[in-house]
Amino acid sequence: MIAAWYAIVSFMLIVYVGLDGRNFGAGMLHSVVARTPEERRQVIAAIGPLWSWHEVWLVGFAGTLVAVFPRLMASAFPGYYLALFLILWCLILRGVSIEVGGHIDDRLWQGFCDFVFVFSSFLLAILFGAAARNVIRGVPLDAQGNFTMPFFTDFTVRGNVGLFDWYTVSVAVFTVMLLAAHGATYLALKTEGPVHDRSVRYAKRLWVAVAPLFLAISAESWEVRPGVPGHASHNPFCWLGLLIVVFSVGTLVSGLRTGRETRAFLASNFLLGGLLASGAAAIFPVMLHSTLTPANSLTAYNTASSHTDLFLASIWWPVGFALATTYFVFISRRYAGKVSAKRDNQGFY
Amino acid sequence: MNSNLADPAFWSRFQFGFTLVYHYLFPQLTMGLAWFLVYWKWRGLRTGDEKYNRAVRFWAKIFGLNFAVGVVTGIPMEFQFGTNWAAFSRYAGGVIGQTLAMESMFAFFLESAFVGALIWGEKQLGPRNHFLAAIGVALGSWISGFFILVTNAFMQHPAGYRLEADGLLGITSLSAYLFNPWALVQFAHNQMGALVTGSFFITSVGALYALRKLHHTQARLYLRTGTLVGMVAAVLVAFPTGDQQAKMVGRHQPVTLAAMEGKFAGGPMAGVALVGQPNVATRRLENPLEVPGALSFLAYGTFQSYVHGLDEYPSDTWPDNIELLYYSFHLMITLGTIFIALMAYAGFLNWRGRLESSPWFLWLLMLAFPFPYIANTLGWMTAELGRQPWLIYGLFRTRDGYSKVVSSGDTIFTLIGFIGLYFVLGLLFLYLVGREIGHGPGGEGTSGPEQVSAETGVGPGGERSA
Repeated sequence: MIAAWYAIVSFMLIVYVGLDGRNFGAGMLHSVVARTPEERRQVIAAIGPLWSWHEVWLVGFAGTLVAVFPRLMASAFPGYYLALFLILWCLILRGVSIEVGGHIDDRLWQGFCDFVFVFSSFLLAILFGAAARNVIRGVPLDAQGNFTMPFFTDFTVRGNVGLFDWYTVSVAVFTVMLLAAHGATYLALKTEGPVHDRSVRYAKRLWVAVAPLFLAISAESWEVRPGVPGHASHNPFCWLGLLIVVFSVGTLVSGLRTGRETRAFLASNFLLGGLLASGAAAIFPVMLHSTLTPANSLTAYNTASSHTDLFLASIWWPVGFALATTYFVFISRRYAGKVSAKRDNQGFY
Repeated sequence: MNSNLADPAFWSRFQFGFTLVYHYLFPQLTMGLAWFLVYWKWRGLRTGDEKYNRAVRFWAKIFGLNFAVGVVTGIPMEFQFGTNWAAFSRYAGGVIGQTLAMESMFAFFLESAFVGALIWGEKQLGPRNHFLAAIGVALGSWISGFFILVTNAFMQHPAGYRLEADGLLGITSLSAYLFNPWALVQFAHNQMGALVTGSFFITSVGALYALRKLHHTQARLYLRTGTLVGMVAAVLVAFPTGDQQAKMVGRHQPVTLAAMEGKFAGGPMAGVALVGQPNVATRRLENPLEVPGALSFLAYGTFQSYVHGLDEYPSDTWPDNIELLYYSFHLMITLGTIFIALMAYAGFLNWRGRLESSPWFLWLLMLAFPFPYIANTLGWMTAELGRQPWLIYGLFRTRDGYSKVVSSGDTIFTLIGFIGLYFVLGLLFLYLVGREIGHGPGGEGTSGPEQVSAETGVGPGGERSA
């Protein structure tokens, strides 16, 4: 039961990263793939109508975490205090810049909104990347399950660590590249005209850059948490995740080569999902590793709520999930097709 | 008693209160407007009268702006449970987390899937699906309100839980938790309050256009629908829902009722103070002007009923800011009474066909729209200040609930950030909504959907064509 909930919570986060990751990616590339005001509105329209639906996965993730792993939430959220608030503020700025940019047809206004959009997307990718790797690296949890963490200490990865160190910074760079590649792949699928052509070029270059970075951070992870790969090799889900990654890479390459954009974008989603899933499986059951002493680590088992709580949640969660998927399938069919700079067939601007 | 500025719990409370009060300015309009959109969309489908569709188009734009600010200010709330109230989340997460997660799964996904379609997708979806989108958004917003009120009701009057072996709360009965009688009453009361906000807002815009002699048909529609719904909702928010809510407080939180009324000495024939200032130090209500017996009757059904006074309870179970609680409650009641009078008179004028030709009254209606926001906020202040000193009534104190590892420095820093960000957001919102209202619904044949979009495909929401 607890393992299943660990999987569900991971799944929610993975879906969020896949869905909103493309929006972050599109946001980061916004100023380079779109050069005219019309093209910029085109990019916004490509991610526009469902961004809040994507963000609900993050809210749902947080709510579910409170319900099923309340002790984890109670340790992690105050510990990540400032980083979390920066993320929340960036999410506010990002959402507002998408929504209000089109309301006033004025160059200065739209330029400003575009800047806020790009800036917050970058910061979000960096912060999410760093925060995710803090989970792998671990945080200075004490025996009561509490920790506080400054933004940075001495940039080392053991003992009294900060949010940013050499490891999390390099992962943040990797996250930026990865999500930008993901976003470019999405824009290639969703747009036409010059934005499409530039997105295709960026997608190819960015994916090529992602590959060596991935190897580098994998090696770094080995150095930071030497015990994890050995532990992970016994977990079949870890292998499954890696298998998905390998297949996705193959599909992605062929999709990009032959210009089959739906295939490339699906592969890009599965690639992200596979990476995160194998990561989640690799650290299971530890959810938050203590850099002080392993005994303080928070695991799925010592942070879960009562059996009845989990049981009741497993009754309503699938219902909610089925409904959410139904709405999504219904509504995203209305938004099918490419967005052009001249003709917004989403009715979005 | 933690109004001490050096106390980290105070700053966490202040921050949560600030972000929550600000956030709730938006959902109350969302929940209030949503059913107007559904109604007009339905009338449009039934009658084929273009004025209804035009009204939906116009209000959907305002709805969209309001919804967006509601979403972005709501997301931090979900996280603040963990960041600033970690001890509370650890203690009660297994219970309250259920509804927080259900809100996302059952309400937010529904709302956010269809809101874009409601605002921008009229052409894409066709009238019938567009109507369904309006229903989806309206249902989603009310379901979300329900789950949040269940969460709050658990904090007011816990139900369906038990204390687990590890000392934390766990759920025993989902139905007892979800259908907590407190939640049902509070939900009804709160939703009527949201409808009052929505109808006053619509009425106010109608009054503005009527005074300016603009958009004649639309102004008439807003005034008629707005005042009719406003009258019904203003009555329902007081009776039976508000009345039941107060009885619930009297039954389960008698000390809170005493504080709300500034009653220090208990007794039968307890009166309701129309005016008066509570003086907690001397334990009396100064300069009172009372209706004798009214409180006994309202709270317990007879004039002879005994109403408990604060003196009967140890002072460490008193709400920690009795003065603010007293004024919040009394101002809410005063405003609620004014709303009924205002809307009843509007209904009378409407019946006589004189509403649009009574400029002074239109002025009143136009200027009245901020007051339901104030009344809703005061209602929530009554609920939350009245619950003190408990975070979960009778089980868990507020001073035990905040995150011990988060310093006042961190909380004040993020509070300042929120104040700055929300100030800018508020200005932006007012400007953009003001702009939409300035443009108006188009109408009287000046700018319908036919004017735009033929070759561009730009929907009627396209401000570029405005």
